[in-house]
Order: sequence, then C-alpha cells, then structure tokens
Amino acid sequence: MSTNQKSSVLIVDDEEMVITSVRAYLEIESEFEVHGFTSPEEAAKYLEENLVDIAVSDYLMPRMSGIQFLHRARELQPEASRVLLTGHADKQSAIQAINQVGLYQYVEKPWENEQLLLIIQNGIERAKLLRDLRAKVSELDTAHSSLKNVQKRLLQAFL
Amino acid sequence: MSQPDPLQASNEMEALRAQVEQLAAQLSEEYKMASIGRLLAGIVHEINSPIGSILSNNQVIVRALERVEQALAGGDPASLAKAKGLVGTCRSLAAVDKIACERIAEVVRGLKTFARVESADLRKVNLNEQIQNTLKLTHGEFKNRITVETDLGELPPVECHANMLNQVFLNILVNAGQAIEGHGKITVRTRREGDRVHIAISDTGPGIRPEDRPKIFAQGFTTKPVGVGTGLGLSISKKIVEETHGGSLDFESEPGAGTTFHIRVPIEQGRQAAGQPPGGRT
Repeated sequence: MSTNQKSSVLIVDDEEMVITSVRAYLEIESEFEVHGFTSPEEAAKYLEENLVDIAVSDYLMPRMSGIQFLHRARELQPEASRVLLTGHADKQSAIQAINQVGLYQYVEKPWENEQLLLIIQNGIERAKLLRDLRAKVSELDTAHSSLKNVQKRLLQAFL
Repeated sequence: MSQPDPLQASNEMEALRAQVEQLAAQLSEEYKMASIGRLLAGIVHEINSPIGSILSNNQVIVRALERVEQALAGGDPASLAKAKGLVGTCRSLAAVDKIACERIAEVVRGLKTFARVESADLRKVNLNEQIQNTLKLTHGEFKNRITVETDLGELPPVECHANMLNQVFLNILVNAGQAIEGHGKITVRTRREGDRVHIAISDTGPGIRPEDRPKIFAQGFTTKPVGVGTGLGLSISKKIVEETHGGSLDFESEPGAGTTFHIRVPIEQGRQAAGQPPGGRT
C-alpha cells in the first residue's frame, strides 16, 4: 500500500458535478490531494492499494449504496474517517450509517463549503492520530516483548 | 303521510350526483398529490446535488476572481500563470453550473406537467416527451436499484389531458418500482398502432398473484402495507384512460416473470370518445 505525504481525501458520488465542485473548493482552500470516483466499486479498488485519510461518500448510488461502500472502506482502512454526504431527505439512512459503518460525520446536501472543509480537516487529523496511536501501540508491544526477553535472559543468567 | 314529491326527489338525486362527482375529482387530485409526495425524497435528492454544486461553485469562483485580481496586480510571469490556471477553473465550474441548472430545470419541468392549471383542456402533446418528463421524477427514487430502459417509437402528437395521462404513467411506474424487490428493470415502450398509441410499461417484479388479478382495478384494493398503498391508483388510472380518453388499460402478468401494463389511447379525441375528466370539470 503506497503512502502519500500529502493528506488524502477520497470522494465518491455518482454525480460528476459534485466531485468537480468539492475538488475545486478543496484545491483552492487546502493542500489536500483529492481522489474522486463516480463508481463506488472503483473507489473501493483504489482503497485496496492506496492509503487515504478520509472517505466522503454519497448515499444513493446505482449498484452500491454509500453505506455499502463505507462498510467496505471500514474493512479496508479502519483508521480512515468516514463521511456520508447525502441529499436523501431521510434520517433513517443517517441512523443506519452511524450504527453500521461507524460514521464520523453526516453532511446534508446542499452542503456548506466551510462546514465540509472543517469536517474534512478534523477527519484527517483524527485518522492520523488513530494511525499514530496504532503505531505507538505496536511500538509498545515490541518494546514490551523485548523487555520480556531481557527479563527472561536476566532470570536465566541469575538462576 | 304525504306522497313523496317526485320533483324534490329528482333534485336531491341531482345534488347527490354533483356531490359524488365533486368528491371523485377531489379524490383524484389528492391521489395525484400523494403520488408526488411518495416520490418527494427522491426528487429532493435529485435537486440537492446540483444545488450544492452551484452554491459551492459560486463561492469558489468569487475566491478565484479575488486571487486573479491579486495576481494581475502583481504582474510577474509566475502570478500570471497562476491567474491563467484559476481562469481555467472558473470556466470548468461555469460549465458544471450549466449542467446543474439544466438538471434542476428538468425536474421542475417534470413537476409542472402535474401542476398544470389548464388540466381539463385537451391538448396535442408529444407523449414520449411527457413520459421522459415523468421518468425524471422517478429517477431519484429508482436509481440505486432499478434500471429504466426506454424504447420510444415515433409517435404523432396525441390529443389528450396530458397531466392526467402523466398521472397514469407515474402511478404505473411507482407500482412497478414497488413491485421489484431489490434490483430489477423497468422497460417503457411506445408505438403507434393505427389510430391509437400503445404505451407498455413492464417490470421484472414477482408478477401479480392470479387471485389478485380480477381485483386490481377495484377502488380500495391494495396488496401494499398501510401507509404505502391507498388502493386508488389503478382505479383512477383506469378511469382516466378509459372513461376520459376512450382508451384501454389492461395488463399481463406471470408469477415470477413480471408484469406489463398496456395503455392504449386514441390519437384524436372524437366527440364520442372524448369523455370528461373523472368527476367532471371542476
């Protein structure tokens, strides 16, 4: 899996116009790398090989719903934050998303750019912190097991 | 005991008949609004994306223009190159805005075909266009699970009450969508058949059970749960097609092989065939 220096945002919407608008806004207001997909299947394929910090998905899409896509995103990259960007006037989908895919945020269309940017910034930070945490935990595990080894050798040396 | 006055009884009958007609018209109108209401979530979804895009693009264009201004004031080659890039961004966003506005206009056009005030008037319309407008309203509701295929043949202008026929198309399309569990396909086919046009709407749903078939056009009959079906749609549709337009509405259905509704309407409304809208003109 390749890692990027720049923070990476993945956006999935079957409407090309939404991707174009969000990309244009993020390009003018941030340094994030934006990867847009009109097909959730292709976006999931991208996630198999590329690390992202946040995945923003539409809800109603042909073939694969936003919930199904974010579910897959959670399996592939659990630390990446998941955001549902939806125009569907149905709170049921929001509740379902929060419960099923561990949603970070739910944004309604038409969206407010500033609000979306803030959510994306915080979501990226959250993902980076989670990854750092995981790295630290694994460092701790390694340190713990090497300490255990030292302790074992010390005991063997003295007993 | 006095004898009943025949004149008074006849007047009462007349008043009752007028009342029934008025209620029938009201029912038909309310049903039409209810069908639009059922599609509302999908319609809202359809227009929210383009509105979101336009709002966002507007903000980006204003910011980009500010930066272009700054770059032009700077005047150095690097700033000018940057300004050129921003002009390109604005141009592509303007193109997106155009598509977004067209999308909203299409949905509004679809809604307008139902809200026409001159509904009682006969007009010559292109039924293929009307069907496409109606499909715009179901697009949002269907798009995540149903593919809609159209095979629209060449049709002459058809003299009809367009908004009423649209109500029939919408009703049958919504029924077809509800019949399909999970993923499926709806096919709309139009052809000229002599002095009539034939519209066939097929779905890949489970089909209508043989025991339900004789009842499906009966007022109040529904197999849908409370709150989903009113049992009015097909009875109103049949009245619109047959009584108002002198056409025919029937169906064929095989369990497991889906259902096809056949709507046939005359191209010209002769004096004999042209009926009144259900409930009369109100």
